[in-house]
Amino acid sequence: MQHRREYHIVILGAGGVGKSCLTSQFVHNEWIEYYDPTIEDVYRKVIDVDGRSCILEILDTAGTEQFTAMREIYMKAGQGFLLVYSITSLSTLTELSDLRDQILRIKEADSVPLVIVGNKSDLEEDRAVRRDRAIMLSQKWGRVPFYETSARKRQNVDEVFLDLCRQMMRADVGGSGSGGGASGGSSEKVYQTPRKRRFCVIL
Amino acid sequence: MSVTTMLAPSARNSTSSTSSSFVPVTRQNTIGSDGAPRSVRASKRYSVTALYLSMSAQDKDMEIEDELARVQKTLRDLKSRISSQSKKNFVLEKDVRYLDSRIALLIQNRMALEEQNEVASHFDESSELQEGTFPDDRKTQQYGNLFFLLQSEPRHIAALCRLVNMAEIDSLLQTVMFTIYGNQYESREEHLLLTMFQSVLSAQFDTTPEYSSLLRANTPVSRMMTTYTRRGPGQSYLKVVLAKQINNLIELKDLNLEINPLKVYERMVKNVEEDTGTLPANMPRSVSAEEAAENPQVQAIIEPRLTMLMELANTFLSTIIDNINETPYGIRWICKQIRSLTRRKYPDAKDNIICTLIGGFFFLRFLNPAIVTPRSYMLIDNIPSEHPRRTLTLIAKMLQNLANKPSYSKEPYMAKLSPFVTANKNRISKFLNDLCEVGDFYESLEMDNYVALSKKDLELNITLNEVYATHNLLEKHAKELLQGRDTEHLTILLQELGPAPPQVPRKENRAIILPLFSRWESALDDLSAALDITQEDVYFMEAKSIFVQLLRTLPPISAAVRRPLNLKKIADVAATTKDIGTFRKGIRGLELLNQLKDLGVISEVDEYQILREEVEQELVHLGSLKEKVTEESLKLDEVYKTIRDHNAYLVSQLETYKSYLHNVRSQSEGKQRGKQQKQHVLGPYKFTHQQLEKEGVIQKSNVPDNRRANIFFTITSPTPGTFVISLHYKGRNRGLLELDLKLDDLLEMQQNNHDELDLEYVQFNVPKVLALLNKRFARKKW
Ligand SMILES: Nc1nc2c(ncn2[C@@H]2O[C@H](COP(=O)(O)OP(=O)(O)O)[C@@H](O)[C@H]2O)c(=O)[nH]1
Ligand SMILES: [Mg+2]
Repeated sequence: MQHRREYHIVILGAGGVGKSCLTSQFVHNEWIEYYDPTIEDVYRKVIDVDGRSCILEILDTAGTEQFTAMREIYMKAGQGFLLVYSITSLSTLTELSDLRDQILRIKEADSVPLVIVGNKSDLEEDRAVRRDRAIMLSQKWGRVPFYETSARKRQNVDEVFLDLCRQMMRADVGGSGSGGGASGGSSEKVYQTPRKRRFCVIL
Repeated sequence: MSVTTMLAPSARNSTSSTSSSFVPVTRQNTIGSDGAPRSVRASKRYSVTALYLSMSAQDKDMEIEDELARVQKTLRDLKSRISSQSKKNFVLEKDVRYLDSRIALLIQNRMALEEQNEVASHFDESSELQEGTFPDDRKTQQYGNLFFLLQSEPRHIAALCRLVNMAEIDSLLQTVMFTIYGNQYESREEHLLLTMFQSVLSAQFDTTPEYSSLLRANTPVSRMMTTYTRRGPGQSYLKVVLAKQINNLIELKDLNLEINPLKVYERMVKNVEEDTGTLPANMPRSVSAEEAAENPQVQAIIEPRLTMLMELANTFLSTIIDNINETPYGIRWICKQIRSLTRRKYPDAKDNIICTLIGGFFFLRFLNPAIVTPRSYMLIDNIPSEHPRRTLTLIAKMLQNLANKPSYSKEPYMAKLSPFVTANKNRISKFLNDLCEVGDFYESLEMDNYVALSKKDLELNITLNEVYATHNLLEKHAKELLQGRDTEHLTILLQELGPAPPQVPRKENRAIILPLFSRWESALDDLSAALDITQEDVYFMEAKSIFVQLLRTLPPISAAVRRPLNLKKIADVAATTKDIGTFRKGIRGLELLNQLKDLGVISEVDEYQILREEVEQELVHLGSLKEKVTEESLKLDEVYKTIRDHNAYLVSQLETYKSYLHNVRSQSEGKQRGKQQKQHVLGPYKFTHQQLEKEGVIQKSNVPDNRRANIFFTITSPTPGTFVISLHYKGRNRGLLELDLKLDDLLEMQQNNHDELDLEYVQFNVPKVLALLNKRFARKKW
């Protein structure tokens, strides 16, 4: 078997916007109708991106605000992020800004591989967020890719993940190895131990 | 102390007539978990007793000082301390959260000077507020009217909660839950708060098209629920049902219960590689989920873990179910509302849908977050290490699964845990339904409101900025707000107040005591009409309450208190005492006996049997009440301690940030002036091994026991923000080891939950080191 790159994707966004449905459509080609709030689920999928095969580890998270204390750990481990909102609720879009800020802070970076996803595009009649709202946000964040998706109709689902993969691959090459947790082991930051001087040692 | 405060422990000013530990009046009668409803009449009579007991609270000239009174006072004090402490913590937490994010930027040198100043200004508020008064009497009165209205008619706040945006909700909730309804153990405020919840919840049900999306999003309602669960009663419940088990679990740092085949396989590969240096040909580095799941070695590892996980989850579940009676009333009542709103709105909703929705609140928003991140809920001291953390997540997932009973597992490996769901299906449904079996409080609330109206001393501890912020929100949303029904009073009050003042600078903010009273006096005279009770009932209850009070005041050796009771004699004895309060009660007792006799309710022939029996029953009840009160005090003592500890932690965190920021600023000031500031060296300070071990600074020591007494440490700070720690052995003039430390590094380690600072011979605990440095080297400048 070829040595394949492995990437960690984290899916973030408010509760009920369809993070789990998107994931399930992408990973298993299945539509889930019922209500089943997530605490933390992890999936793996091998995909082909522009002729290169890579392994995706996808972490589907809790949108419920009570679980925010877990986010930091996810963000540390993730290399690419899907920030999902629902086109039927404006507040789910505004929640994304805080998430992005937190990611950048934890990553100590000005940009990270990221895609804005406006889900439930099939519910046009309940639309509460116009496309240009999200486009404006994308501009503001430095032209972050933005898609509207429907997990129900499986529209744009693969596209979203592919786009993110390409970004992660580019970052991988450009960043000369940094952030390429290829073996899957989360790369804990190593502290340059404060300078120590030792003298004689007999206890 | 007044009579009522003894009979009805309440948090503040004896405002309340009821409390969770006080049975004879309303709460446990109308809200019995046994579900047995009393007749409306009976409960009204109880309510009126409450009213009498409460009204005589103003009768300050009579004091009861028995054992019961004393334990009740302890309990009351404790409750009021918990209430005010949890408000302080709420505010501190907000500050620490804000600073957490800012400090990270500062460490990365990404913060401009102006922003540094902005951050620095934040510290001013976290220091204790000065007390003050309103600049102007008329305003005091007008705001007193406004807040009385807001407090006693929760629908206005409820409407406001639905109108504000997520940015506004936090400060509104702070004012609502910790100030307006801040007495967490006082039934009237608690009930009003719950009424507000109900109105917000039902609006949410009205505007949500399908139940699948109900209560899922992060909305003001969900924020309300979180904030509510973080008040004292919710915290103590979590401690009771979770703390012990979670602590046991996190001690088993090496217990790996991962059951995801991919992860198990990965670790297996890693172990083989580390042990042998190579990988056998039949062990590829990466495999698909299916391949991993079919691997016999992986299966062998997972098998016993499944059993253990199910056992663990079972223990959690059993503790939760067994402690159903510990669940705070308000939380159960919210579950009940969810159930009844669902039934009303979606008549064909199946029972399992209802359970899912209740579980969506009780497990998803209350219990499971605490299981998954126990430190944020003050259940444990340190962040758990990797394995226990994963185990806790798995347990939470199992519980959530059980409450939801999805027909299939999104993650295939979770299907292996389905025996847990099958075995506990019925248990959980019953539990979630039982949770809803609590009574309502509307009647007692109505009563409490009458009582409140009769008080002269209702007041609110509030800050100027809270007053102005609330006024501001009301003004901003006035148009929608005043469209509702019955808002004339609010309209008038807002008009009189005029435009809302802006927030005052932090330094000028004051803690004030706002006297509350109603602009619209509602008469108490027609009380018996309003409550539909007769004059006989009123006399009877007053008599009962008077005799109970007398029996508690008269010396226990007095012949009058001997059983069987002789009511006439009791009143006679009282009417001849010198104590004016007792004397009056005696006279009134005699009057009432006569009146009741004339009305034919009691008769002298059987020595007032009906009344006598009720009084005796009441006394028996008061006897057992003392035990209950003592027990409750013990429990709350624990809670108070936890909250205090948490407060100490928050304060030390703020202190650390403060001194760090101070350093950064004084350094950059130095640079700006282009000259090296003269810094004087602080220290060295000396610490013994034993001392640091006791304080938890040393979390692990490799020094042999018999040598520890000879080890000591010195810490010096050559310049602000830098430290040198050296380790010495007695009798040698040179240190064994020296360590240069920068405050930045320590803070960064802390930010990343990296708790260990390695000094070869000993391991220091980073947060504790920070606290120590802070205490010893605080360079005063603020
Ligand atoms: N119409 C429609 N409904 C969706 C879509 N995606 C998710 N949903 C529904 O929204 C609800 C929440 O979905 P879920 O994936 O669990 O949300 P999560 O909390 O973000 O993981 C479910 O009832 C789904 O059926 C979509 O694209 N279109
Ligand atoms: Mg989900």
